Amino acid sequence: MPGGRAAAQRIRKAIALVNAVADGAGDEELTPTEIAEAIRDCLELREIAQGSNVRNYLGEALDATSDGMPADFVAMTLYAALGALGESWSED
Amino acid sequence: MRSAEGRGRTLDEAVDAALIELGESRRNVDVRVISEAPDETLVEVVVIDQATAPAGAASPANGKAEAARALVEGLLKHMGVRAQVTVRTGTDPITLDISGRDLGGLIGWRGETLRALQSVTNVMFGKNLAEGERVIVDVERYRQRREHTVREIALRAARQVKMTGDAITLDAMQAFERRAIHLALQDDPDVGSSSIGEEPDRRVVVGPRKPASN
Repeated sequence: MPGGRAAAQRIRKAIALVNAVADGAGDEELTPTEIAEAIRDCLELREIAQGSNVRNYLGEALDATSDGMPADFVAMTLYAALGALGESWSED
Repeated sequence: MRSAEGRGRTLDEAVDAALIELGESRRNVDVRVISEAPDETLVEVVVIDQATAPAGAASPANGKAEAARALVEGLLKHMGVRAQVTVRTGTDPITLDISGRDLGGLIGWRGETLRALQSVTNVMFGKNLAEGERVIVDVERYRQRREHTVREIALRAARQVKMTGDAITLDAMQAFERRAIHLALQDDPDVGSSSIGEEPDRRVVVGPRKPASN
């Protein structure tokens, strides 16, 4: 499922950005805008169905980023999106 | 260092048997599973040397670590994972070690599941933590081993850079691994590190701190 793989890749990219903030990688300053952009990139994928759990979790992660929630909270929500994506594969 | 072996039908029973022999509570010991069969588990229980524990054993910070340990233990129980959770002594931030058998699934692909568990732990425990304070979760010292490995890679790359004068681009790494490299090289007067690329393919470049000029 190439579309699903692309979605997983984009979600993982967003997770990596958030984890870089949480872990304090110390190699650059990441802004919430960059994280929000990465999450929006995920939401733009048509493979992620409207009303699906994946989209709901991504929406929550985007809201959390905008609201300045802790990085771990955003990461947890993105992991939930990744998990929901995996579940949708196994249902196919 | 005092230790005892314990046998039981389950891991908990085996640990309890050893704890009774030692007269210790679970929070004061490290547990190593020696063998595990469907009908019997054998463990070695070692009493942690309290003399090496950080000062202020009864400090609020230690109470916090114990509370975090209990939280993760509860989470694992709900997940149906049989494992021991201990607080790593002498570390800042609070570090929890999960040990047991067949915990590969808890680490996941490139440590993804472990990282997710750490995120959940920090979200659930966040109200008990000060600003910027975090709980680190490790499974079978996976994270510690990775940090050690990447530090070795960094030092090897630094030696090579000093010999050749050429910069070296390392493989893509996670944030905590890149951080370990930056920390390993931060005091080197000749070699420095920086990161290039985008997540999740972000890589560390190890190169001369100053360009050679004559």
